[in-house]
Amino acid sequence: MLRTRIIPALLLRNESLVKTRRFGRFTYVGDPCNTVRIFNELEVDELVFLDITATREGRAPNLALLTDIANECFMPLGYGGGIRRFEDAKAILRLGFEKIILNSYALENPQFIAQLAEHFGSQAVIVSIDVKRTIFGRNKVYTRAGTLNTSRDPIEWAQEAEWLGAGEILLTSMDREGTWEGFDLELVRSVAGSVNIPVIAHGGAGSVADLGRVVKQAFASAVAIGSMVVFQKKGMGVLINFPDPAEIAKAMEPDASA
Amino acid sequence: MITIVDYGMGNLGSILNMFKRIGAGARISANPLDLEGAEKILLPGVGAFDGAMERINSGGFREVLDRKALVERIPVLGICLGMQLLTRSSEEGRIAGLGWISAETRRFPQSSGLKFPHMGWNEVNPSRASPLTAGLASGARFYFVHSFYVRVDHEEDSILQAHYGVTFDAAVEHGNIFGAQFHPEKSHRFGMQLLSNFARL
Amino acid sequence: MSDPYLSHAPTSLKVCSRCIYDERTASISFDAQGVCIYCRQIDRLTEEYGTGTAAGKAKLDAIIQEIKRAGAGRRYDCVIGVSGGTDSSYMVYLAREWGLRPLAVHYDNTWNTAISTQNIRKVLSALNVDLYTHVVDNKESDDIFRAFFSAGVAEIDAATDLALAETLYRAASKHGVKYVLEGHSFITEGITPIGRNYFDGKYIQSIHRRFGKRPMKTYPLMTFGRFLWWSCGAQIRKIRPFWYIPYSKEDARRFLETRFGWQYYGGHHLENRMTAFFHGIYAPQKFQSDFRNNTLSALVRTGRMSRSAALIEYASPPQVEEELLAYFKKRLGLSDMEYERIMRLPPKSWRDYPTYKRRFERLRPLFYLLAKRSLVPMSFYLKYCLPAGP
Repeated sequence: MLRTRIIPALLLRNESLVKTRRFGRFTYVGDPCNTVRIFNELEVDELVFLDITATREGRAPNLALLTDIANECFMPLGYGGGIRRFEDAKAILRLGFEKIILNSYALENPQFIAQLAEHFGSQAVIVSIDVKRTIFGRNKVYTRAGTLNTSRDPIEWAQEAEWLGAGEILLTSMDREGTWEGFDLELVRSVAGSVNIPVIAHGGAGSVADLGRVVKQAFASAVAIGSMVVFQKKGMGVLINFPDPAEIAKAMEPDASA
Repeated sequence: MITIVDYGMGNLGSILNMFKRIGAGARISANPLDLEGAEKILLPGVGAFDGAMERINSGGFREVLDRKALVERIPVLGICLGMQLLTRSSEEGRIAGLGWISAETRRFPQSSGLKFPHMGWNEVNPSRASPLTAGLASGARFYFVHSFYVRVDHEEDSILQAHYGVTFDAAVEHGNIFGAQFHPEKSHRFGMQLLSNFARL
Repeated sequence: MSDPYLSHAPTSLKVCSRCIYDERTASISFDAQGVCIYCRQIDRLTEEYGTGTAAGKAKLDAIIQEIKRAGAGRRYDCVIGVSGGTDSSYMVYLAREWGLRPLAVHYDNTWNTAISTQNIRKVLSALNVDLYTHVVDNKESDDIFRAFFSAGVAEIDAATDLALAETLYRAASKHGVKYVLEGHSFITEGITPIGRNYFDGKYIQSIHRRFGKRPMKTYPLMTFGRFLWWSCGAQIRKIRPFWYIPYSKEDARRFLETRFGWQYYGGHHLENRMTAFFHGIYAPQKFQSDFRNNTLSALVRTGRMSRSAALIEYASPPQVEEELLAYFKKRLGLSDMEYERIMRLPPKSWRDYPTYKRRFERLRPLFYLLAKRSLVPMSFYLKYCLPAGP
């Protein structure tokens, strides 16, 4: 049976791991290589690294650091943050990463999605969509680490990305991120229902039950978790961990009433 | 010493990395001449069938690979697309495969509900014992990413099977030729077990 | 002058008749019965604290009552430093058994292993205890470790120990807590002779100033001033329950395994990769220092292991995780050549760098009083305030 992927999403800030809340304040979480080692030991399914200041600072990806990270990893790895050039994408994939994650630049230059997909295959291209709800209750796509409102609708952008060749969508709710309050099921359902490619739900997970809910009720194909894997509990200290696989499997079982 | 063939497609760094971690000697080579002295060959692959076969055929690899595999009969392991290349043909492309194993590569039926490619961790079941899969615990799982699958003509060539809409061969063995559809280099201790076994053949 | 740290041929060594410390141990001396000064120190402590006796238990009960009283109305009444190891995990369990409301505190030097974080998670979630963590910036942490490595001194992990102490105080202060519970047991661990395990804030600062490259921003440095503030100003007390009641590490381990699914990390310090490097590679290879004699001696003193068995185990080399060395070099950005070069440099000692040691010795009367009132641990007084021998 194909297991539902539960993917720790780790945020890089310069050469350290951090965790943000609602794309705002950050807490130091630790060393990227050591954290990858721990996740290796815990045998997690897949990992995603997102450099949250790369685009804002106009930086290219730190290949030396990514090489160090890739050398520690014996599971699939994705990287996103400041990828604007074909050469960078190629170098990162050659280092040992399976997936390139595009965000800001994909909106600036959508053809880049097609270029990468054609060359490396769709399965290597994830388009990351950060969404914030306006005061009128409408969902808008933001870029540049959540600082720029593009006024685009997430469903419409996701469909365009799929059409261009994206293999997956990483859908992040900026409002829920770091809050432990649960996923924005409505948002995830609306996007997952409008594309055929897998949607990875991200932002808001607070418990294993939340993981089950977003998969079964909102049709996410996979789930990315941040706070849950780096903090002991909501509001408490940093502790790298991963939910018990048996508990996850149970949460993914079809509901009795369904 | 295992020679990993660099014909321009595949995540070679990760494969080399896992061999290093398990303490097996391995090197990457983009030069067909290096293959002459190879004791074991690993054929990686990520991407499209025709693209890969073209590179192998025109890059000077074909002749020496055929000789090493079919005449000298050194152990060969094809991974992911590399396993599909071992078959005689694929529905993905028009160029013939290496044909080292009597099998065909087919497209997954696009049944409703299932998303493609088949991507993620899936369980494998042994079809029969094999030195390549020795020591794999029951319930072993591997990381798969593929839109096409392999089915061998002769059941005895199948050593592991998995299921995604259809049942397909996850690993194959025919004499000195081995194949793994999944990515052992990204499958934690299960992958390490498999690559260790290959190194010890 | 011959280097006192170089080892002699084992057969000519004088060994304590009771435990297995030998004459290489710093500041050691033997009495008329051939019993070493450390065994005697432990005898005295046992008598003073009533370890394992009804009197000891009564003392501890009184302290527990006092902790509850002082913490009434607050969210937590004590803090406990956790590492995922045996002592601290068991201490959290006991604290709950005693009806205390502990806050678990962890200092993350960014070299943890999955075993330690999983152990912490399992024990704390089962006991419903909150966790406070201080994570140092990984680059800063590596800079400090590299500085100590380049300085050639033994205490490469000292920065972690001191940072935990400072973090404990900060966590306590933040929540208005007056008591820190520590899982140290002089019975199971012995008092570490000062020779190769010195650390204080000035020492860390001196090494960092000489050999470090990054400013210390997130590293919690305990300066002398802070130390005095915490102990005399904020008056946060350090209590070590295992000094009063009997404690067996082996029994604790078995209990933790059964009750919480806790995992033993083995004698190779697999809970933290820097500690593992220190104990398994650095100390034995550069200083011929093998700290296993601490725990082995303790086992011998309490009759859990025969002296001959301990000597045999001690004679075989410590085991180490494969490619731990590769990871160490990678983290600290050391080439193979650079690593070898530094390892071959002559070993240095804490005496070669500025520290607070003399100040601690000068203020001995003050610290004696503080120790009597548990405002600093008595073991601190014994180790730091008494003059260290050659």
